[in-house]
Amino acid sequence: MNAVLTLALNTLRETVRDRVLYAFLFFAFILTLGGIVLGSLSVGQNLRILVDLGLATISIFGGIIAIFVGTALVYKEIEKRTIYLIVTKPIKRWQFILGKFLGLAICLLIVTVLMGSFLLALTTYMTPDYKISFALIYSLPLIYLELLFITAIATFFSTFATPMMSVVFTLGAWLIGHLGQSLLALAQITESASAKTILQIAYWVMPDLAKLTLTRAEITNGISPGPELITYLVAYIMAYIVFLLVLSTLITERREFP
Amino acid sequence: MTKTVIETVSLGKVHFSNFLRKRFQALDELSLTINSGETFGLLGLNGAGKTTTLKLLLGLIRPTSGQIEVLGHTPGDVRALARIGFLPESPYFYTYLSAQEFLDFSGRLFALNDKERHDRAKELLELVGLTDAAKRPIGKFSKGMMQRLGIAQSLLNDPELIFWDEPTSGLDPIGRRDVRTILHKLKERGKTVFFNSHLLPDVSEVCDRIGILNRGKLIFQGQVSEITRGGSYLKLEDFFLSTIQEAEANYKSANSQEARGTKN
Repeated sequence: MNAVLTLALNTLRETVRDRVLYAFLFFAFILTLGGIVLGSLSVGQNLRILVDLGLATISIFGGIIAIFVGTALVYKEIEKRTIYLIVTKPIKRWQFILGKFLGLAICLLIVTVLMGSFLLALTTYMTPDYKISFALIYSLPLIYLELLFITAIATFFSTFATPMMSVVFTLGAWLIGHLGQSLLALAQITESASAKTILQIAYWVMPDLAKLTLTRAEITNGISPGPELITYLVAYIMAYIVFLLVLSTLITERREFP
Repeated sequence: MTKTVIETVSLGKVHFSNFLRKRFQALDELSLTINSGETFGLLGLNGAGKTTTLKLLLGLIRPTSGQIEVLGHTPGDVRALARIGFLPESPYFYTYLSAQEFLDFSGRLFALNDKERHDRAKELLELVGLTDAAKRPIGKFSKGMMQRLGIAQSLLNDPELIFWDEPTSGLDPIGRRDVRTILHKLKERGKTVFFNSHLLPDVSEVCDRIGILNRGKLIFQGQVSEITRGGSYLKLEDFFLSTIQEAEANYKSANSQEARGTKN
């Protein structure tokens, strides 16, 4: 496990020493602040707009960081030939994949906590409403869960595709994941049998990320989703992550480094 | 009693180009035995198959045919890798790390404890002359400094078996002399060194035995002392060039005969 931690901390160090991360964070903070301006234009919905925009900003900017860093995680090591100095050390390929994934996961945790704290501070400044603070704190782990899934899918694509292709594939998977219920609805109304099969397969293969967003929206509206749904969502997404990391390991074990 | 450290039997590697799947025999029927404590130099022109051989021995690529055993294990086995040091050709590092940080990172991958990592890093940075640049980001290193750091990281785990691909590449005359001194020290300590090089003076000075590769085939292997017989490296150079020229002439005549046979 030491090797995994070493690789994770090195990946974290690589990510936090990249100035692009700070540029993303800066824009995310500006956009969240924009929630105050937008809220002031509304009629009595200023807090609601700030919270919705703030959470969406964390989700989108976190997702962008996960995609752009994650899709280069393994590929960059191969392209920059640093991989020769890693895989010739006594580490197993699963340790390499898990280490890379965990490094970015820790970075995203820091990003989520930083941006979440900023949003919490802003909402508390506007109205010290404990209900909203509670809803915010409850929503953040769900956003982080989604970011972990994006990181896993980006890591998976980075084991065999170029960063550009990986970005396209990961973005595609992220968007389709959010269209889960629509895919199923489309499958029900379509008349073509082959289109119906394709849409149903896409629905079953892709994770239903829309469920996460829906649950998050309910939480911010003060509706408690209940422990069963939360446990189900966590187990469901974690199973996807484990599956993707196992696939990434199998691909890395089979590949050569000429 | 001498112990076999590396053994390859009829080792072959075929590369395919990505487009059109054109076949290229990078290594053909390589049978080689390296014993413990030996310093072995693999020589050959560019594209002869030297780096391919090293990558096969380290498990970075898989053979198309033949068998390999390194330190009693299959290539890439973590038990063998724990006892191996490797310097790739023109090594690349994480540019955001300093030399000290990189050595610490590598030491952790070798599961060295805090004291071992600290002491080994200090000792090796001194050995390769990078003490003053220990905290400088690697991104600001010259090619020669990268090579020196590559050598340092390859010795971090005090390996039994050392693979160096072009160790003197990018080094100035002082750097080359330092590498030769390090090689002599490793030899004295009974380490097995396998290295690829173009620089015949270095090979002549430090190697016990050499192998010559041409177009993926091992065309010669033997003791350096029998070639140079106490003379200068020029004897090795003459021998190397004549062996390559002879192999090339044989290759061309075999090719033209084959072409004539196909025509008829």
